[in-house]
Parts: sequence; structure tokens; C-alpha cells
Amino acid sequence: MSQGTRHGLVRLVAGFAIWSIAFIVLYAAQALGCAYGWGAWHRPVLIVIYLFALAPLIWLSTRPRPDGTDAILPTAARWANRAALLASVLVFLPVTFASLCA
Amino acid sequence: MAPRFKTLALGATPLLLAGCSGELSTLDPAGPRAANLAVLWWVMLAGSVLLFAIVMVLFALAYLRTAWVTRITPAQWIIGGGLVLPIPVLVLLTGTALVLGEQLLPRGNAPIRIEAHAERWLWTFTYPDGHAVPDQTLHMPAGQPVDIVVTAEDVIHAFWVPRLGGKIDAIPGHTNVVRLEADKPGVYWGQCAEYCGEGHDGMQFRVEAHTTEEFAALMQGASH
Amino acid sequence: MSEYPSPIRLHKQLDAIWRTPPGLARLSSVNHTILGKRFMVLALVFFAIGGLLSMLIRAQLATPNSAFLGPEIYNQVFTMHGTVMMFLFAIPMFEGFAIYMLPKLLGARDLAFPRLTAYGFWCYLFGGSILIVAMLVGLAPNGGWFMYTPLSSRPYTPGINADVWLLGITFVEISAVTAAVELFVTILKMRAPGMALHRMPLFAWYMLVTAGMMIIGFPPLILGSILLELERAFDLPFFDPTRGGDPLLWQHLFWLFGHPEVYIIFLPAAGALSTIIPVFAQRPILGYRAIIAAIVAMAFLSFGLWVHHMFTVGIPHLALAFFSAASALVAIPTAVQIFAWIGTLASGRPRWDIPMLYIAGFFIVFVIGGLTGVMLAMVPFNTQAHDSYFVVAHLHYVLVGGFVFPMLAAIYHWLPHVSGRQSLYRLSVPAFWLILIGFNLTFFLMHLTGLMGMPRRISTYPSNWGWDWLNLLSSVGSFVLTIGFALVLADLVLQFRFGARFRRDPWQAGTLEWATATPPPTYNFASLPRIETRADQLHPGEIGPMLAGGGGYLGFARNGAQETLAVDIATGAVEHLIALPRRSYLPLWTAMATASFFLALLFKLYWLAPLGALATIALFLVWPVGLGAKVDRGPVDIGRGEAVPHDVEVPGNVTILANRTALVMDGTLFASLLFGGLFLLVVAPNWQRVGPLDLPIWLGILAALASGAGAGCTYVAGRVNRFGGSAYLLLLAAAIAQAMATILFVALMIAIPEPTAHAQRAVVFTGLGYAALHCALAALLASHGLWRMIMGYVSARRQTGLVLAWLWNGYALGVAILVLGLAWLLGNSGAGA
Ligand code: HEM
Ligand SMILES: [Cu+2]
Ligand SMILES: [Cu+2]
Repeated sequence: MSQGTRHGLVRLVAGFAIWSIAFIVLYAAQALGCAYGWGAWHRPVLIVIYLFALAPLIWLSTRPRPDGTDAILPTAARWANRAALLASVLVFLPVTFASLCA
Repeated sequence: MAPRFKTLALGATPLLLAGCSGELSTLDPAGPRAANLAVLWWVMLAGSVLLFAIVMVLFALAYLRTAWVTRITPAQWIIGGGLVLPIPVLVLLTGTALVLGEQLLPRGNAPIRIEAHAERWLWTFTYPDGHAVPDQTLHMPAGQPVDIVVTAEDVIHAFWVPRLGGKIDAIPGHTNVVRLEADKPGVYWGQCAEYCGEGHDGMQFRVEAHTTEEFAALMQGASH
Repeated sequence: MSEYPSPIRLHKQLDAIWRTPPGLARLSSVNHTILGKRFMVLALVFFAIGGLLSMLIRAQLATPNSAFLGPEIYNQVFTMHGTVMMFLFAIPMFEGFAIYMLPKLLGARDLAFPRLTAYGFWCYLFGGSILIVAMLVGLAPNGGWFMYTPLSSRPYTPGINADVWLLGITFVEISAVTAAVELFVTILKMRAPGMALHRMPLFAWYMLVTAGMMIIGFPPLILGSILLELERAFDLPFFDPTRGGDPLLWQHLFWLFGHPEVYIIFLPAAGALSTIIPVFAQRPILGYRAIIAAIVAMAFLSFGLWVHHMFTVGIPHLALAFFSAASALVAIPTAVQIFAWIGTLASGRPRWDIPMLYIAGFFIVFVIGGLTGVMLAMVPFNTQAHDSYFVVAHLHYVLVGGFVFPMLAAIYHWLPHVSGRQSLYRLSVPAFWLILIGFNLTFFLMHLTGLMGMPRRISTYPSNWGWDWLNLLSSVGSFVLTIGFALVLADLVLQFRFGARFRRDPWQAGTLEWATATPPPTYNFASLPRIETRADQLHPGEIGPMLAGGGGYLGFARNGAQETLAVDIATGAVEHLIALPRRSYLPLWTAMATASFFLALLFKLYWLAPLGALATIALFLVWPVGLGAKVDRGPVDIGRGEAVPHDVEVPGNVTILANRTALVMDGTLFASLLFGGLFLLVVAPNWQRVGPLDLPIWLGILAALASGAGAGCTYVAGRVNRFGGSAYLLLLAAAIAQAMATILFVALMIAIPEPTAHAQRAVVFTGLGYAALHCALAALLASHGLWRMIMGYVSARRQTGLVLAWLWNGYALGVAILVLGLAWLLGNSGAGA
């Protein structure tokens, strides 16, 4: 299997893989912060993780448009990555306002 | 604000009206918190009926082959139906629900905290300062928020008084708090909502809301 | 075409190789068509059992204060209903469907590991039987289908009821695990030449994603079941809050599986819809790329929802917000698919037939289920509706709408393929209406019953809450529904008996499965097609006869071998030739040995269980005997003037890919264990006073070094072999080193004082056990590589045995290091926190 072709499947799941990792890290940081009393640092830490997660997703979602007949997978991947970006923006948005430990 | 919501709710569905009331009915709220939840339900119901109708009509039109339906392009189907239609609805709804959720949290200390301890298959209520009233009834003042501190002895149970607010689980090793409020003095009913074995269906309890004075008097008379 | 034999002669030659003889020899079948049908028939039998149980439920609840079933029986009945429907009907049903369909749809002659398919089937049959027998003798599980602890722990379920669930279901899950690996590998590697990923029919995409989800989704449940069984059997506390455990850990592990599970059930059904709808719309599916993106989105999002089953357990609002938002968002990819389907119909020339009728039913029922799902995702509303009949209504709208209706459509669509006969229609239409009306009467009202406060899982209710008429109508509806299902059954029997025969492709579908003869021959295709366009827009009616005449690849019988092709994952270029193993009784024997293991645990014969496990492993070691090649054969002819090497001579063969996949699965199980340990450390009560755990550190370091030596040796062995050197000694050294590591880890386990005293010790104990097990496996795989080498199956080109040794040895090393890290972290916890 050549390098280029394997990329197709990797790109298809890349965005959501990042989303998953961000989800785990945020959920863990939320729990740790409450368990070990991070206090005033808790929310800023979460917000920083949130922004960190968005950066690679924005990069992935704005890659140039693929073309050609073989572009079926790259196009699907592009949409999946944009969906991951949208999901990240919305799902993690509550770190900015929701109650952290109550 | 509860009565206003209630009239709104009842006005919206005169047909179901008769069926919805009941001693355990979430659609027959008796306090502001339960009323909020009921309103959320009626709003979501209305939206759902509309969305359901849209999907069904489009499906029917696909078979009737109405001219304009056949002219819709693939991109319009996917983007219009799959993205433009649901995204704003979902964002608005989830946002509202989260804000409402924040407001319903038992934040700050309510004036009164009552402990509800579940064991198979009964509830024990303990009042501030360790008072106990030996009648298997949860007594609380009406017209003000009350925090119920819920714990469990053996297995998981759940504390639920549908007409006064949402439920919360009673989990061994954990302490959970749920805030309730009754508009008026009266008798309400609660029950265990989490399956807890053979006696699960019998774990109901009476809730009695009193006027503030009555409640104070009751606490005075209660044993230690 | 004169160089090809006549279709009839070719058929006879191939059939002689592929067929399963009649009589008792059927038990040796490994053929995917036969096993797919067995899976589906057995699943339908379980559906009938689950249906009967639901009738008992509805009979009991029809009237208030009913004394028909007491709470003891009722609790077993509803637990078994849910368990049977989820684990013994829905999952095996779609597995069977995929097992039957995929090779035909992809243009292959069988799945990647036919004997594994058979082994999975026997595990399913035996595990399912354990549950049913337990029910018949009145010892069925009674803790609800999600078996919450502490209710299902020993103090509150002292009998074997809960063990029946934990062991029986884990036994059945073996079939899900094997199916997941096998389907995943098959879809990636075993397609017709030219079928690039972007030409796969959507059903294959759906199943690829489903298999991927199963690989990540099932391990948490399996781990949870193991931990709970360890707690019940040996008193190791994981969920007991008085000893540092936490009932919430079970909930997390269960729903980490349980929520994706719902989508694992839905996606194959959606795949069937995406295949059937274009046929009846008479145009290709609309939004092929968008649907691929949507199912990927759905798959991932569905892993971020599990806490929506736990909104009322007292988790901070921020955490709830994540899960609430993700639950709402998953509606978007669902909407994309719904509108792609409607759009396909609208822009095609839609026609009606029985499958379409059920698809219409799907739209009605599933959309309602989806909408109530969004409602339940809203935390405040959930605090009222959770654990009430509203949820019972919702879950049936989703499961029946999203699985049963599409499966009924699929049955009517593909039964002609299985039977070679067309539908009769007499009963199909009234049956549909009975099902639709009966279903909605039963379950629509339950939304209201729930909102009026009726909790789920109660065996009876007094008359004063106003639920009487709702329950009565629901019960009436459920009997109408049952009559509908009975009519469908009658209809299917009649179709097998009296349906008209037909030639190829009765529906004018565009997918490859219709290019086989019907009923399909044992080898599917007399020769394999070359695919140049998207594989859902073919002309089976034309391709079929050409393939039957031997006009494609491999249009011949050679040396009695069951040959099929493997392709490059992405491009679909032919890559190698696979000779599949022939029929065998080994799967049956191995499953019986596995059954002895589970039964020994169930009956608490703990001395017997290790013997059962050893027998299973020993039998598995017999599987590869005689497979593989002792010489390098180089490229061989595959017809159409092309030649490719055998699978044993290529590095990317299905065996290696399957082992990598299995390691991912195993790794997920291990990650769940690590998560469990950290979760208890951070969240569980009663960790303040636990003292540090003093373990002999040097033992741990030695164990890791030994495992590292093993991994290093197998790695070097692989390289040496590739360059023509001799690797015997290296493999021997690896086996010895890993065996030592095993012993050291066992010694560490023994060094833990009183593992039952606290969850801290129990988790470390279990982690060390996991490490010991994997070092032992690594030793086994290294020995296996050595043995294959001695037998002459290994050469510089034929390196599979060595690659497997390296993969498992490397994994063991990773486990060893992480387990020691976990032990250190938890061991020192008492002091700090
Ligand atoms: C054939 C028609 C069916 C009827 C009449 C029916 C009826 C019911 C009822 C009344 C309950 C609630 C029991 C209780 O809470 O006490 C229930 C629970 C359940 N049903 Fe069904 N059901 C049917 C089909 C199905 C199907 C097809 C599935 C899945 C594919 C399913 C899965 C479940 C599950 C998972 C539960 C939860 C069990 C538990 O609480 O542990 N049901 N069913
Ligand atoms: Cu209960
Ligand atoms: Cu769910």
C-alpha cells in the first residue's frame, strides 16, 4: 500500500480523532480540577485546552479543495473534518460558562 | 410565574388536558421548578411536531412527485435538510436548556436542607438539626426552595417528586442534592425511579408542604 | 471464451471444493453463506423469545394491581427481554446479515477467516443457550439489562443470576469480537479487483465504520463484566464504595459501550436503507460523499454521548453540558442521511413495493424516536423523563424504527436472494399495517405514561395515578403488533414454499450480490469481476453470466484450494491470492472448550476453569497447522493474464492486519482498565485513608526488563530473517524472557497483601494479572514463530509468524511498562490525596 493512498482513510478520521482527544483531555481536566481543587485556574486551563484543540481543526478544515475523479474520499474527508470543527466549537463551548464542579 | 406557564401549557393542548393531571404527573407541575421543566417539554413538543410534519410531507411529496420537489438539487437536500434545518434549532435548544440547567442547580445554600436516605425499600427523612418525624413523610415548607440531600444505604435508588422538580439518584458512597419548591401547601407524592430490586414498585412516599409557620411548629415538636 | 470450461462444469468443479456435505458434516461448515443464514435464523428465534417475554410484560401491566407475575418473575422477564433483544437478537442479526452479504457485495468468495466465523457462531449459540436455560429453570438475570452495581453485586444478588448474565453475555460477545475483526479486515482487503475505497457500495462503508466502532466499543463492556465477575467471585472490590470502589465506574464502563452500541445497531440498518432506497428510487444514492462523512461523524460523536444515560447521577454541570451538546449534535449526521434518502426518492422515479412500505414505516417511527432523543439530551428535561416510560417509548422508537423496520425491509428485499423465490404479497401488506398500527398504539402512548410519572421496571402499579387506560391500550397495541409479526413469519414461510422462481436481479438492483445465481452457490462467483465504476451502479444481469462462465479472475478450480483475491486497501489494485482454509470441526471443538471454561466459572468450579482455558488455547494452536507454505512460490496465475503472490508471501496480508486490529481492541480493553484505576483514584470515596502499597520495586523493574528483552529479540529476529539469517535462537530467547516476565508479574501479584481490602490493591492486582497474561501470550507467540520456523513455514519472504511474534511481544512490553506506572501511581495515592 502506498503512502498516498493510506492517507485517504487517515484524513477521513483525522478531524474527529482530534475531537476525541480533546474531549478526553477536557473531561479529564474538568474532573481533576474538581478533585484537586484547581480553583481559579480551573476554567482558564479548560479554555486554553479548548483553543488548542480548535487550532489543528481549523487548519484541517481550510486545506485547499481537492479535485479530480479520485477526489471522492478527500472531499468526504474535508466535510468530516469540518464537521469535527463544528462539533468541537459547539460541544466544548460550555467550558466558557457552565458550572465547573456543581 | 408558575401559574402563567401552567395556563399556557394547558391552553396549548386542551385535548390532553384531562389525561395529564395526576398525583405523579410531570405535566401537572405544582412548583416553579417543575413548571419550568413542563414548559420546556411543551416547547420541544411543538417544535418536534413541526419538524416531524416537514419530514413526512417531504417524503410524501417525493412519491407524489410534485414538480418543485423533483427540482431540488442534491446539494440543496443535503445542506438544506441536513445542516440548515437542524443546526439552528439544535444550537438554540441546547443553549436554552444549558442556561435553564444552570438556573436549576442547587447553588448557594437554600434556607432549608432535608436529608433523604434511601434503603431497600423505604425512605428516611431527617430535618435540620437532626430532627426526625416518624411518619414516612417528607415535610417541607411551601413557597420557598428546599434542598434535599440524597444518599443511599445499599443499592442505587432515585429520588423523584415529579410535580415539584426533577429526579436525582441516590448512590451508595455519594451525596447528591436536588432542589425542590412547592407553590402551595398540600400533599404531593414521590417515588423511587431507579430500579432497586423486588420492592422497587413500592418505594413511594408522601410529601407534605406546609405554610412556613406550620413547618416551624412541626420542627419544634419533632423529636431529636 | 473457448479456453474456459462450460459454466456447468466450472460450477461442478468449484462446488466440489467449496461445498459443505449434508448430514452431521454440516457441523464443520465454515461457509459464510451458511453461517450468515444460521446467525440470522438463530437471531430471529431469539427475537421470538424476546417478543414472548414482552408479551408477558404487557400482560402483567395491562391492569393495575395485577397478580399475574410477581416482582421476582417480572424482574427476570424484563431483564431477559432487554438482554435478549439487544445481545441475542439485534447484534447477531446484523452480524449474520453482514456475514451473508459482504463477500457477495464486494465480489469475494468468502470472509477473511471462515473458521473464525464458525467459532463465533458456536459461541453465540452456546452463550445464548446458557441464558435461555437459566431462564427456564428460573435463575435468569434480574438486574436489568444494564446490570447496575451494587444491585448486581454479591450482597444484593447472591444467587447465580448475575453470573449468568456476566458470563453468558461475555461468551456471546466473543462472536461480536470475532465478527468485528473479520468484517473490518474483509472490507479493507477482500474486494473485487478495481474496487477502490471510493467505489465501494455504501453498505460496505457502513459496515466498515460499524466494525471499527465495535473494535473500540465492546472492550469496555467486556472489561466491566470481567471486573464485576471478579468482584462477585473473588471479592475484589471495584464497585464497592466502602472499599474504595464506585458504582459509577460500572455505569461509565457499561455506557461507554452501551451508547455506541445503539449506533452499532443502527448503522448496519442504515446501510441496508442506503442500498435499498436507490433500487426503488431507480437512481443512484444522492450524496455518496456526504453520507460517508456523516457516518464517520456519527461514529465518533456516538462515543461522546455515554453520560446522557447518567444525567441524574450527580455529575457537574459542565461535564453534563459536553455530553448534552454532543447528543444533540449527533442528530445532524442523522438528518443528513434522512434527507439524502428522501432526496434520492424525490429526484428518482420512485416505485412502491413491500420493502418500500417498511421503509416508509422506518421514516415515521425513527424520526419520532430521533426527536424524542433530542428532547432527552436536554439535561433539565431528562431529570423528569429519565427512567420513566418516556424512555421506554423513546428506546423502542429508535430500536424498532431504526433496526426492526429496516431489517424487515431488508428481509423482503433480500429474501429472494436467499430463497431464489419472489414475494407473494398476500400477507405482506396487512402484516405491515398491523405492525405499524400496533407499534404506535403500544409505544406512542408510553410517552405520556412516562410523563405522567410511571417509572420503568415496576411490576405493578396502583390504580390511583391515572395510568390505567394508557397501560391497557399499550397492551392491546402490543398484541396487535405481535399478530403482525406472526403474519410476517407466515408470509416468509409461504414465500419459501410457493414463491415464483426468477432469473438474476429481480429488483434491477445495481450491486454485485445480485450477480450470483440465486440461491447463491457455495463459492459465490465462479470467477471474480473487475470493477471499473462505483460498485452500486453495476448491471448484475449482464455481469452474472459472464462471471459464471469463468470470464473474470480465478475462473478455474486449482489443486482443490479455496482461492480468492485480496487488494490494496485504498486503490483496489490486486495484491495477492488468498487460499482460505477448508471446512473443519476445529471451530466447534474450540467453542466447546471455551464453553467448558465459562461453565466452570458459572458453577464456581474454579479448578476446572484454567483447564478449559488451556484446552481452548491448545485447540487454537492447532488451527494454523497445515496452513501456509513451505516453499516460496512467487507470483501465480489468477486469470486475465495477471499473476500475484500468495498471501503468505506478502507483508500486508489479512492475518497480520487482523492481529493488528485485535491488538487495537485489546489495547482498548487495557485503556479501559487504566481509566478505571484513575477514575477510582480521582473520584471514588474512601481513598483518603488508604496506605501506600509497598511492592518490591526491583521485581517490577526486572519484569519490565525481561519483557523488553523479549520484545527486542523478536524485533531483531524479524530483521535477521528478512536478510536471510537464522533467527531460531532469538525466538527461543524471546520466549524464555517473556516466560520469566510472566513469572515475575505473578510474583508481584502474590506480593500484594490482601488484594480484597481496597480497590487500590484490587486494581493493581488485576493490572499485574493482565501484564502476566500478555507476557505469557507473547511467550506463546514467540514459541509459535519458532515452531513455524522449524516446520519450514518461514522464509525471508514468508515472515507472517515472525511479524506476529513481534507484534504481541512489543505489545506485552508496552503493557508491562504502563502497568508498572499504574501500580506506582495508585500505590502512592494514599499518602498524597
Ligand atoms: C415486540 C415488541 C416489543 C414490546 C411489546 C416491548 C415492550 C417492552 C416493555 C413494556 C418494556 C419495559 C419493561 C419495564 O420497564 O418494566 C421493554 C423494555 C425494553 N425493551 Fe422492549 N419491547 C418490544 C421490542 C423490543 C425490541 C425489538 C428491542 C430491541 C431491539 C427491545 C429492547 C428493550 C430494552 C433494551 C428494554 C429495557 C429493558 C430494561 O429495562 O432492562 N424491545 N420492552
Ligand atoms: Cu427503586
Ligand atoms: Cu444513549
